[in-house]
Amino acid sequence: MSHTPPTSPQPTIIEKVFDFVDERVGLKLLAAKMLNEPVPGGSRWAYVFGSVLLFIFIMQAVTGVLLMFYYVPTADHAYASTQYILHDVDYGWFLLSYHFWGSTAMVVCVFAHMSQVFLWGAYKKPRELIWLVGLALFGIVMGFGFTGYLLPWDQRAYWATTVGVEIMDKTPLVGDFMARFLKGGATPGQMTLSRFFVIHVMVLPAALMGLAGLHLFLFRSAGPAGPFRGTPEELKVKTDYFFPRQIWKDIVGMAVVFACICALAFWEPVVLLEEATPDPGDYHPEPEWYFLFLFQLLRLKMFSGEFGQFLGAMAVPGAFMALLAALPFIDRDPERNIFKRPIALIGWVVVMAAILIFTVSAIINREFLD
Amino acid sequence: MQPKLKSRVRCEDQDIGVLTKVIVDPLSHELSHLVVSVNGAGERQVPMGTVQNVTDDLVQLRLSSSEVMALPPFKRDDYVTTHEVEIPHLEDHLHVTSGEVLVPIPDLEKNVKRRTFFASLTHVVGLFIGLPLAFPVLKYLMKPMYSPFDNNWLKIGNVGKIKADDAGTQFKFKRKIKEAYLPEAEIEKNVWILKATPAVLEKVYQGKDMEFRDATGKTIWTNKKDIPYVAFSGKCPHLGCGFKWRQHKVLGQVFLCPCHLSIYDASGKVLDGPAPRPLDPLPIQVSASGEVQIIDMEFKAGTKSQTRIV
Repeated sequence: MSHTPPTSPQPTIIEKVFDFVDERVGLKLLAAKMLNEPVPGGSRWAYVFGSVLLFIFIMQAVTGVLLMFYYVPTADHAYASTQYILHDVDYGWFLLSYHFWGSTAMVVCVFAHMSQVFLWGAYKKPRELIWLVGLALFGIVMGFGFTGYLLPWDQRAYWATTVGVEIMDKTPLVGDFMARFLKGGATPGQMTLSRFFVIHVMVLPAALMGLAGLHLFLFRSAGPAGPFRGTPEELKVKTDYFFPRQIWKDIVGMAVVFACICALAFWEPVVLLEEATPDPGDYHPEPEWYFLFLFQLLRLKMFSGEFGQFLGAMAVPGAFMALLAALPFIDRDPERNIFKRPIALIGWVVVMAAILIFTVSAIINREFLD
Repeated sequence: MQPKLKSRVRCEDQDIGVLTKVIVDPLSHELSHLVVSVNGAGERQVPMGTVQNVTDDLVQLRLSSSEVMALPPFKRDDYVTTHEVEIPHLEDHLHVTSGEVLVPIPDLEKNVKRRTFFASLTHVVGLFIGLPLAFPVLKYLMKPMYSPFDNNWLKIGNVGKIKADDAGTQFKFKRKIKEAYLPEAEIEKNVWILKATPAVLEKVYQGKDMEFRDATGKTIWTNKKDIPYVAFSGKCPHLGCGFKWRQHKVLGQVFLCPCHLSIYDASGKVLDGPAPRPLDPLPIQVSASGEVQIIDMEFKAGTKSQTRIV
């Protein structure tokens, strides 16, 4: 490459090693390909969520592996080993709390990432497949939350799983099989814990890595969508490469998320309830906050009875996910400007408002239970 | 037609040099400039807009040679090659190379027949490896899913504990479970026992004895309609949480499930909330001394009819 600066006549040992590897692997070209990707219309803070999600996942993997050094996935030791991590192992409380709040951060950022792609109209042709794989990744993130929740084997864990699996049981035709398959029996027990553990630490991470790789590959194949406004000339003037401006914004985003997770882990560390038993005692079962709106939805009178429950627990969420999956194929108008897509904008606002209202009413409902 | 490298470049008045490089716009993927090596006088960057015509080996410009010479010299350092930057599908738009780059096909690969057959055969062999595994793997994972019901009577306490008629009293008990190869373990469970007045008893049994049958249809036990003690499974028939006996502002003393707020009266009838069926009565025996025994059963939640799962 003619524009690379000439190397000094006496290369240092590090340069020699680098050149040795570069000659065989093509490191310089690889780095150039990774970093020199034109970002149409220039870097933006709005684009950080994908990279931030990758960062959160890596940190979840690291803290997860560390937790497994002490955690034992058996019904008679899971609770005690988790308490041991929290109370006896040096910094165990921090790693476990980081892992817990990291999962919350994951859900928040998935939400932000999907909203951004939706509002920017970036799911449209030629990026339909990126959107579809993204939806699958969303499902995997939810699966991580659901399976991980059981592992501490406290009352919260046990009841969230009991209700969650009962909901799955309502799937037409295969529901009973799926629920028994997940539980490894008729009721939650050791087999359930074993299954959730394997799914959480082996199956889902493998699936996520594969699909995230595919997601990135598809993203690179189609190229970034860029802003939804501006003439080609305006975009060209503002265009820069992925490195350094976008990477700078990404790393700042990661640092902010890291600081937030650490702060939450520090001020709100994980506290377990009583060990899991099929007798809830005084505990009022409730799912994690990001599932609260669904939980509240199922309290509604319109979703009562066997059919109502099928509507609320399966049909409505299923139809919503199906709509999201079909979105790029229904919405074929190339217009990407959200202010010229009134149905999309109103739809997004309505969904967000509904989630907010249901979540808040679930929180208000707590007071009337004691 | 896109210009070819090494083409001659001609101005309005004379030939001026050779096309050495092309410059592409990274967003539109269109050619934006040509770089012309002027005979013996460096390189000039010429906008595509000044190109009048492109033929097989000649680029005709709308400029005069002096106008081209007046353009600023081409600055190589302002550009990178397309190999060093990630621009998807760029090659689909560019045909600037002067010809194809070819490698010979190995002799053994020439005239191979049945390529499609071999490709399909690969998939068939793959299926032969995968298919025989599917069933064993499924059965392997299904092993603990279905187990026979346990119909033994469990002692859970004495009715002396019950303070009032038609009021739910929780009886906690321990139950032994044996999972797979694991040593026998004890889990805590609970049922709600009611000492019912005849009116409530009538609502529970509706004038008929209640029979409990096993999978083959054989009767295990019959709850007589005039025995005043009723036991309800501790599992809410909505989605399986544990319900409580609580004071309700409007409805008085009720069974309330804190999960999705299903409310049942003392007879187990749904008063409010999403539950699809009343509470599940269990087989119960009370001895002369007041000792309560039950058969622990659980039913699938969320269905109108009862389906026993434990």
